[in-house]
Amino acid sequence: MNEHATTTATPPESPAPSSRPRRPWAGGRPAWVVIALATVALFAISVAFQPDSVRSSVLQGMLPFAAVLAIAAMGQTLVIQQRGIDLSVPGIMSLVVVLVTHGPNGDGGKLFTAILLAFAVAAATGLLSGLLITRLGITPIVTTLGVNALLLGAIVQISKGSPTTTTEALHGFANGHVLGIPTTIVIAALVMLGVSFVIKRTTVGRRYEAVGASAAAARAAGIDPLRYQLAAYVGASVLYCCAAILLAGVVTTPSITSGDTYLLPTVAAVVLGGTSLLGGVGSVAATAVAALFLTQLDQFVLATGASSAVQNLVQAVALAVGIGVYSVNWPAVAARLGALGDRGRGATAAGSG
Amino acid sequence: MSNRITPVGTVASPGVEDAPAAAPSLRITSVSKRFGAVQAIADVSLEVRPGEVHALLGENGAGKSTLMNVASGSIVPDEGTVEIGGVALTAGSPIAAQERGLAIVRQHPALMPDLTVAENMAVALPGRLGTGARTAQDEMRRHLARARCQADLGDRVEDLTVAQRQLLELAKALAQDPTVLVLDEPTAPLGRDAAAELLELVRELAAQGTAIVYISHRLPEVREIADRATVMRDGTVRATAGMDELTDDQILELIVGRSIEATFPDKRPPGGDEEPVLSLAGFSGPGFADVDLRIAPGEIVGLAGIAGNGQAELLRALAGLERSAGVVRLNGREIKLGHERRARAAGIAYLPSDRHEEGLMMSLSVRENASVSSLSRFARGGVMRPAAERRAVTEQRDALRIRTGSLETPVSALSGGNQQKVVLARAMLSQPTLILADEPTQGVDAGARMEIYRILREAAASGIPVLVVSSDSIELEGLCDRIVVFSRGQVVRELSGDDVTEEAMARAIVTATSIRRADDEHDDGPGRLAAVRRFASSDYGPAVILVAVILLLGAYTFNDNSRVLSSFNVTSMLTLLSVLIFISFGQLLVIMTGGIDLSVGPLAGFLVVVASFFVVDGKGAGVMIAGFALMIVIAVLVGLVNGSLIRFGGFTPIAATLATYIALQGLSQLLRPEQGGYISSGVTDAIQTDVGGIPVAFLVAVAVAIVLEHGLRRRRWGLRLRAAGSREEAAHAVGVPVRRTVILAYVGAALMTCAGAVLLMAQLGIGDASQGTSYTLSCITAVVLGGASLFGGRGSFIGVLLGAFLIQQITNATTFLGLSQAWQYWAVGLLALLAAGLYTQVRRGRRRAW
Repeated sequence: MNEHATTTATPPESPAPSSRPRRPWAGGRPAWVVIALATVALFAISVAFQPDSVRSSVLQGMLPFAAVLAIAAMGQTLVIQQRGIDLSVPGIMSLVVVLVTHGPNGDGGKLFTAILLAFAVAAATGLLSGLLITRLGITPIVTTLGVNALLLGAIVQISKGSPTTTTEALHGFANGHVLGIPTTIVIAALVMLGVSFVIKRTTVGRRYEAVGASAAAARAAGIDPLRYQLAAYVGASVLYCCAAILLAGVVTTPSITSGDTYLLPTVAAVVLGGTSLLGGVGSVAATAVAALFLTQLDQFVLATGASSAVQNLVQAVALAVGIGVYSVNWPAVAARLGALGDRGRGATAAGSG
Repeated sequence: MSNRITPVGTVASPGVEDAPAAAPSLRITSVSKRFGAVQAIADVSLEVRPGEVHALLGENGAGKSTLMNVASGSIVPDEGTVEIGGVALTAGSPIAAQERGLAIVRQHPALMPDLTVAENMAVALPGRLGTGARTAQDEMRRHLARARCQADLGDRVEDLTVAQRQLLELAKALAQDPTVLVLDEPTAPLGRDAAAELLELVRELAAQGTAIVYISHRLPEVREIADRATVMRDGTVRATAGMDELTDDQILELIVGRSIEATFPDKRPPGGDEEPVLSLAGFSGPGFADVDLRIAPGEIVGLAGIAGNGQAELLRALAGLERSAGVVRLNGREIKLGHERRARAAGIAYLPSDRHEEGLMMSLSVRENASVSSLSRFARGGVMRPAAERRAVTEQRDALRIRTGSLETPVSALSGGNQQKVVLARAMLSQPTLILADEPTQGVDAGARMEIYRILREAAASGIPVLVVSSDSIELEGLCDRIVVFSRGQVVRELSGDDVTEEAMARAIVTATSIRRADDEHDDGPGRLAAVRRFASSDYGPAVILVAVILLLGAYTFNDNSRVLSSFNVTSMLTLLSVLIFISFGQLLVIMTGGIDLSVGPLAGFLVVVASFFVVDGKGAGVMIAGFALMIVIAVLVGLVNGSLIRFGGFTPIAATLATYIALQGLSQLLRPEQGGYISSGVTDAIQTDVGGIPVAFLVAVAVAIVLEHGLRRRRWGLRLRAAGSREEAAHAVGVPVRRTVILAYVGAALMTCAGAVLLMAQLGIGDASQGTSYTLSCITAVVLGGASLFGGRGSFIGVLLGAFLIQQITNATTFLGLSQAWQYWAVGLLALLAAGLYTQVRRGRRRAW
């Protein structure tokens, strides 16, 4: 019926090199499965080889930290999903810890005000980073590194360099149980459900996800990407604040640099949860599971009698493996390895390939 | 004109040779090339003789560019051969073609925006510009003058107008002293006078014996310049003949070919004088100017013209994606555009031509893509009602016959035609008042094409007018009620009724004589501000600003506490500073490529830990030397790992260097769980010697800065480093080994860090796993303060040196001014943000679209 389409099928004027390899299998859903299975396997291995690491008392000690990491890592997910990165995690978390411990200074009556203040400060910090990034166009790395330095200064100023014992009220709350489940875990689960609901089931969340998947396509569809990128930093900061408040309760006398150890694990959890550092579709639930995985991995390594130094190495490997599994374009790597034979041509072919 | 060739060849018999003519400079024989399912060119032969201007004519997609890419070696043909100057071109290498004497001036110049004119020439023409700076510069000036390029050697390319860039590209080609010169639409960005001068130059070159392939869509220009012409259509040669053998009408016929009947939906019956839905008056924007247009309800209006003449840009401006000026009325009401949300709110739905990048969110599902512009319709109080959404999307899926497994299938799994229908479904769901469709059937199979035409026609019939941009004239002829022909950003013809034919469009395009508006001139704002901007965005502007700040702060501190200049304080401050300087130099190398290295801090710490096992009292000199050697080896390895993860493993720089960051920290802790290993005091003293209170290490750092700065501007490695960071594709096109350059930058960063680690070792005097990491932040701050662009391509070692100085000075000053320790953090953080904000702002706006 129609001849013309075949005769005039417009051939590309030049073979436009496809800008990025497309990896449909690296979407959100398979990642979920991968990290969930890995976590189950890790617990199975723990039971089999290091039963000490899964004794009830050890789990009770581990879970609150998993919850703290999970909440913070969900915040990092929000930012990374929008092609950003947040290096101000240590600053925000440490500052919040300082605010809710030094503020009340052991007086439970002042705790509530201190928590409100902490949330306000965290949100304002996120807003500042977000504005600098979206309005002034400063790169996320420099912005969040710079903001982190400002926060570290504030921590030194407020704490005068020494930690304070946490309030009874917060300590009791964070180490309490709801129906036998640690409160921290319950809160982490609620946060996960809440954030997932907002992203998947509200107009704002759906647009946010569209911007993350492709800012250019979202723009063409009439959505302003900058608003959603800005919101990501504010939302993330609020989540770090939640995490830090719990952390301040779990630990009796939290150090004024307690946030420092959370930057790398949050990024690792995001990557292991299947969100690419180049942005795109992410899953806060998968990130939360990955946080549990990482925390248990630490326990497992500790139970083998290795030092905390080995924990770092294991984390680095976990991060690299995570990226390797999700981000590396394996077919392309295979093709490239195959093509290494004729290097002379490789150099010129690379431009179109 | 000694070598004017008598016209040869007859219509439809390409490649027939006239015996006595000189041997062809370029001979393409029976070349074919297929891209996937598309036969781009089939059995094409072409000969261009010395001294001949040979025009290559044809519509969009006729295969001209593919043919020239084959000739220039950037595409390897499936069949056929290319000979340049009688020598066969093997392996399809652009460099080989260049060496044989073929130069090509593409429509989109391969230039690096952050490099100067001279640097762009130097990087693209290694070994061709004579030796010695003076001779090379004279050579460059000569070529620029020949190309009539008015740019100065020191001008930065991003500040040039599009026309000047094109002429610079021409100068680069001339510098190769080509025997075959390919010009692809060379006059497109030029004004009238410049175009005339270019034609004059082409004549001159031909007279000197250069063979010239002249690709153009403009018949008047071709008539003026060409001796012979080859017309291509659908990937084959239709004719090669002398210009005086062909009339304009004959050429047109060859370009267009017989028209092919296709099934298109019926057009709109000629309507009355309805109120227009959209009316534009004096509508201008980037790439088009002064467009007046009225579109009635039910109308499909096509924007025709050669790609890049303003049609697509006009659609983008209407979609709010580009700035625009002029009066836009939608249903009689004047609306303001300039922002995507305003366009959306006004009911304008845009279908981008690039489905993968702009049309769809590839990782999202069919449902999510279809409903993204109309979410509020399916929500109550901001919460989605999934059932309503699914119902509406299902309805559209059925109406548009989208073939998909389910609504939850990722759109990336759909065929091109079905993907395009998802974009259409999104437009329809948003209940638009106007649809803008850019290349709606590109890459779409035949069946889906017909359905897309039907969908657009039905939308129009329901009262929603459609504005279509297409490079397929048959599509425009079959689909549109009215055609507006664009050339050089202006409307040159309007066709309606029976005039809507492919031929009429082609005639309007090839006979157009419109000239681009000179709206291309650079606008830096009013005088003084412009000067400030230019200064702050120059290479050494940041350095001057830094010196001023350093002096002011120094004076203030000294005024407050004169001990700040005591020799003890000066020596200790400069000693501390030297560590930071070296590590920052390393960071700059990486940031120049557009990357970042977070692992430098832990690497410095780790190298000190390693040294604390070897460079200790009681070990022999051999062991110590082995220790230093080991530090270097480790540094090189870490650099290679970072670089390879990024260039081969597809890791982002952050991910790769973050992983090495953690790993190095772990290794340090593993080797030195507790502080230990006192560094030999002899070595420490040697490293910390000073001359008259100035540490030798600092003097070395300054010397290194000068040497590196010189290399960055003058040596090949420096040019390549900046080229790779400025614009990778362009750098690759001019022969810069981008991958190797980037990996070596990471190795260089690690080696610089190693130098810093040696100084740090002397300072700490002991292996300590907790040291070093803080250098990551401070070295990035130093680089930012020094004015380097984090997007790559820009930076200065002198600036970084001063940036590091300022950081150290502030840390030092806080103690002397009696400020709290917090100020050390605040000052560094504020400085980093201020500097990054300032430099980003002054550079923004100067950067043109690339």
